[in-house]
Amino acid sequence: MDVSGVLEAHKQKFKSVTVEGKIIPVEYDLGLLAAYDQNPVDEGELNKNKDEYLQSLSRDNAQLLFNEIFQLPTISDDNGVMAMLPTPTTLLPREKPLPKPKPETRWEKFAKAKGIVKRKKERMVFDETSGEYKPRWGYKAINDDGTKDWLIEVPAGANPMDDQYEARREAKKERIDRNEKRHQRNMEEAAVASKLDRKTVNKGERPNMDNARAMKRKELESQILITKNSTASVGKFDKAIEGDLKPRGIKRQFAPTITDLSKEKAGNMNILDKIVGKNGEDLVNVRKAIKATKRQ
Amino acid sequence: MLRTITPRNARVKRVLKNREAKTEENIKTAIFVRGSQTSQIVNNALADLYMLKKPHAINFTKKNEIHPFEDQSNLQFFSQKNDASLFVVGTHSKKRPHTLTFARMFDHQLLDMIEVSIQHGIPMKDIKTPKSAIGMKPCFLFNGDVWEQNPHYIMFKSMLLDFYHGQTVDKVALAGLEYVISVTAGPLTSEGKPGKIYLRTYTIQLKRSGVKLPRIELVEMGPSLDMTFGRIMEAKPDVWKQSMRVPKELKPKKKKNVSKDEMGDTIGRIHLGRQDFDKIQTRKMKGLKKRTSEDKDEGSSDKKQRVDDSDDDE
Repeated sequence: MDVSGVLEAHKQKFKSVTVEGKIIPVEYDLGLLAAYDQNPVDEGELNKNKDEYLQSLSRDNAQLLFNEIFQLPTISDDNGVMAMLPTPTTLLPREKPLPKPKPETRWEKFAKAKGIVKRKKERMVFDETSGEYKPRWGYKAINDDGTKDWLIEVPAGANPMDDQYEARREAKKERIDRNEKRHQRNMEEAAVASKLDRKTVNKGERPNMDNARAMKRKELESQILITKNSTASVGKFDKAIEGDLKPRGIKRQFAPTITDLSKEKAGNMNILDKIVGKNGEDLVNVRKAIKATKRQ
Repeated sequence: MLRTITPRNARVKRVLKNREAKTEENIKTAIFVRGSQTSQIVNNALADLYMLKKPHAINFTKKNEIHPFEDQSNLQFFSQKNDASLFVVGTHSKKRPHTLTFARMFDHQLLDMIEVSIQHGIPMKDIKTPKSAIGMKPCFLFNGDVWEQNPHYIMFKSMLLDFYHGQTVDKVALAGLEYVISVTAGPLTSEGKPGKIYLRTYTIQLKRSGVKLPRIELVEMGPSLDMTFGRIMEAKPDVWKQSMRVPKELKPKKKKNVSKDEMGDTIGRIHLGRQDFDKIQTRKMKGLKKRTSEDKDEGSSDKKQRVDDSDDDE
């Protein structure tokens, strides 16, 4: 039986999905759903009937792009049929620079050197006394560092009248405080590190802490010097303390006796402006002054 | 400058965290802003481009004294304030009529900028056809032979892709491909300068074709803009290089010993260990049987025994 006629008739019913007349093959970047048609546009046609030409050109290229997209491997999803896209080939600039690695804490550095690997601990642990699971730490935690023991043996040499529960609580509090201090120190060092050496930070290494200390010291010294001058007499009548900091690198400066006349004039005019008022504008806010006098 | 915000509650903290630099970036937000003077053509174009970019877009409804090519401080401020990195500035003056300036930021500093002047524009609302839904992923078509030749074209193409490509995804719903942005570059002028570009947007209709692939029909959606290029400000090479860096995590992992040849066939190299010819199984024949153990040393007689056993089975 000859079915070619039937097939031909069936084909006639539909428009074709093939596109002809592309001398240079169209390039695709399917990751961005883009097609780049490098064929020159038909100038005459573009001038004559622009919109029809643009639409037919776009249709042809869209057809080619969709032919490619529909040939990609697909998966079925809740959202219908999804085409798996390759990674885009056209690179586009980022919005922000790459994230910097966090500077290591002292513990992290130590653990790395010693080869200590972090292990995940379960949040809930089985409590044998009550027979149920309880959080390892925090609210309603299992025996909180021995503070929930029902009986504590008096340690050798300890005063039997001392409250051992209190002692344990104190010890715990102290540990927490110490850890908080360490945390603070890590934060400070990280802050200094971000200022100090960009190269070392980018590598994720800790910067030289001697540098960090020196930086902190300098900052403190300058603050102390400022406070010394912050008295009513600008530090003049304060008693000198032995071994106290002396301001370094500050020298009195004198203007040269012979200088450019215009500079001298400008300097003097500047002072005059401040006293008399620039270009005749009022130095005093009249409205405020009136208000002040009225109040009196 | 903006004051630095210290988060006082979890919500602000989350927002600030989201704004930090990260390996996989957020979708870039675009700000559409009017200059001190605009024309109706520019207003329409801005509104339409805003509609296409929604929901990752911010429309500034008030006019701003803004001249991107003279002073970028405004853009930097807006960028920081809104965490946006794309801008379209619409202006209109006698010297540069109906102008759109597309600008891109990197790290809240201006990266590059291109100016186009609208010669002819039809807004979306004047084309009475069905529109695509908001926030759909567009397809892009760049037609013409000049797209790789001139810095104007290269930048405009990159800019458009950057504006509208949205999130880089690894899969896309075929039913969700609703519209296509088609940009056709007209021929260069007689002096070799960039000519007109024609931006058209069409909605896509998938028709039955009798085969597995669908027949595509396009219906104009708008906006339709005929533009010429104006001024351009290219990125500084070092900043550009920094902005194009790909994080190590996102780089495709190199597959060892697998390559492709010119025909696109995959070629793999397999490393086998050294082959032990003593253990190789060849055709079993009585004449080829190992007899060394019996003749030379008595220590490995059990091995010989095993060989004999297997022969007996056959």
